[in-house]
Amino acid sequence: MTGLQINGLGLVGGFGCGAEDLQVALEKREAPVSRVNLRDHLFPLFQADTAALGNYLNKRALRRIDHFSRLALLGAFQALEDVGPLELNRERLGVIIGSGFGALKTTFGFLDSIIADGDACASPTAFSNSVHNAAAAHISMQLKLTGPSLTVSQFDQSLVSGLLSARQWLAEGRVEAVLLGVVDEYCQVLGYCWERYFGEQISSKMRPLDFDHFSAVPGEGAAFFLLQAEADCAAKYGIIDSVVMGQLWGSRPTLIPGQPLVLGCEGHPLNGGIYRQQLPENASVACYTPLYGAAPVTQGFDLAVAALTLKRGEMFPSADSGGDYYSGSVVTEARKVNRLTCLRYGFGGEYAVIQLKGNG
Amino acid sequence: MKKAPVAISGAGCLCAAGLTLKESFSAMLRGERNPKPPVAFSSSHIEKFPVFEILAPLPIPGSDVELLRTSLLAFSAAGEALADAGLEPEQLGQLRVGVCIGTTVGSAMNNEDFYRDFRAGDEPEMTAIDRYLRSNPAAALARRYQLDGPCQTVVNACSSGTDAIGLGAAWVRSGLCDVAVVGGADELCRTTYNGFASLMIADPGPCRPFSSQRKGLNLGEGAGILILESAAMLGKRGRQARGYLLGYGSAVDAYHLTAPHPEGEGLQRALAECLVSSGITAEKIAFINSHGTGTPDNDRTESRVLGKLFPDTPFVATKCYTGHTLGAAGAIEAVLTLASLEQQVLPGNVGLGVPDTGLPVHPVAENSAIRGTVGLSESLAFGGNNSAIMLGLEVG
Repeated sequence: MTGLQINGLGLVGGFGCGAEDLQVALEKREAPVSRVNLRDHLFPLFQADTAALGNYLNKRALRRIDHFSRLALLGAFQALEDVGPLELNRERLGVIIGSGFGALKTTFGFLDSIIADGDACASPTAFSNSVHNAAAAHISMQLKLTGPSLTVSQFDQSLVSGLLSARQWLAEGRVEAVLLGVVDEYCQVLGYCWERYFGEQISSKMRPLDFDHFSAVPGEGAAFFLLQAEADCAAKYGIIDSVVMGQLWGSRPTLIPGQPLVLGCEGHPLNGGIYRQQLPENASVACYTPLYGAAPVTQGFDLAVAALTLKRGEMFPSADSGGDYYSGSVVTEARKVNRLTCLRYGFGGEYAVIQLKGNG
Repeated sequence: MKKAPVAISGAGCLCAAGLTLKESFSAMLRGERNPKPPVAFSSSHIEKFPVFEILAPLPIPGSDVELLRTSLLAFSAAGEALADAGLEPEQLGQLRVGVCIGTTVGSAMNNEDFYRDFRAGDEPEMTAIDRYLRSNPAAALARRYQLDGPCQTVVNACSSGTDAIGLGAAWVRSGLCDVAVVGGADELCRTTYNGFASLMIADPGPCRPFSSQRKGLNLGEGAGILILESAAMLGKRGRQARGYLLGYGSAVDAYHLTAPHPEGEGLQRALAECLVSSGITAEKIAFINSHGTGTPDNDRTESRVLGKLFPDTPFVATKCYTGHTLGAAGAIEAVLTLASLEQQVLPGNVGLGVPDTGLPVHPVAENSAIRGTVGLSESLAFGGNNSAIMLGLEVG
């Protein structure tokens, strides 16, 4: 099967909005952590702001679109704008969205309508927007895309699961391009869950390469990619060479020796041990999750960093330098690269490997 | 472009009509159905919208405390399908097996009791969240059988089951895996019950797809699973295919969040892709298992499209026996389509009563003999999704 060209990027997360904002964060090696309300106190969050969606849609169009779908729409509009004029039939552009949790705020908003006012007063608008594929529907409607549409929910493997289908669609000739995105949002219930699971440990400084200690900060946002089959013309960013998802109970990731790894670790000891056990001793690693936080959407940001890396032909210094807690080789200075791998382990033994290359 | 057929080596389903495919299909041919107000939960609606609930214990050991019921439904249907395919659970770990499952409730973090406590300022225990996190249907199946192939939970609302089958078939066809466990599962849930009531598309009586008296859908629950297998693996195991997945198509309306395009534009394109990918012409199709929810909009759109593209092809809406099982619907209907092809009979559309004369075509009212080896199953969904799959008894 041929590779997937990344020809457009659309990003919104704690680092800001768009590839330029992510690039600034990568160069500074930091991004702001907001403090949001969680009941009677403040809670750290890499918060995404969708105000820039006003550049693409007017207030009337946005009236009934919730934060989750706004994140997705902003990512989608940017990715299509980034690719420039796309000469293809809108029936031949597929949409694939991955989300770990879906439209949480609207889901709980729907429950609010029932709890506050009774079953008979359940909100039809909230119910309609609470389905996981609502974001894909809004994208299709606003961008007039009428090809195949798929929404998948595989927690933190949602991106790689969606990528498999994108690759399949392009290889089969079902579509000429795929607008693939991952999106997840924060809500207070999620914050409560974090506190119940991780208690007092939550800080605002992530050290994901410290596999033994908790340092995760939640994030939210959207990462979108305009993907096309590998062709004679150069990719705008880079080429996804292979996509593999597997389970440690049956297999191990196949990693190419010497190829730098972008690690998806997020400061969770729950899967930190897996990284420690599974990483090759001499692997050269970088981790950028301190720029966008911990969330199912994070692997999308990792892929975006890989795309930006291949475009400039140089690794960004890892956002976590490894300090005195990581004994392996960490990319701490910019260095030339034309191939790299995104690697992410889940909490239950699942893993995802995305191998990328530059235009050559 | 015509795609290579993918063998179906096993099938299983459970729904309110029965706990196995055989039980379910037999009950349908007897015209049995018994939708009633839900037992699993209560509501304060004046109208007690009936549902198609599975009241018998599920044929799979497992605890509701550990997993959402959706996963247990998926386990039940998968157990039947794997046994039908002659695949022992311990064999699966040695093969490249993918799992692609459609759902809606099974991926929703919407536990009402948990949220009610949270909202009241209490500190609810995490049991409900733990259960949700363990219950992603595809991941739960992969974990149960130690599957190591691609894993995908499709959440395309009510077309999820159909899409999961079409997507899983592509995995097998491309060599991404040797075997794919595909289908859909969904449980009854108070949240969706209230949701459909709020949209005023739930029928206060037993649902009547395509009837002049139809007022909406009845929710249901269940799961449908197909085992898809490469020809090489089937040959290696010395097994015969039970049928074939011949084609798949999908497209969106880009029209409305919940209502279908009045002329079914997306559905027509999904059907066109399905026909092309299967290499089957319309006149070869023995029957169609329609989406047929019983909502005024859905049935009107679907009838228009069927009347335009397949004016002489008999069709049925099996939701009149199963209720609308949401993410499982397309998968259950695919399994029932296979059963109809095998037995060469289409169950009659129970409850049709007086057909809506405003619709160009109507489903069969009585059990009807069919002639042919190819059947089509189609799904429409919130979000404007439309999907169709072609099943056959022969390679095509």
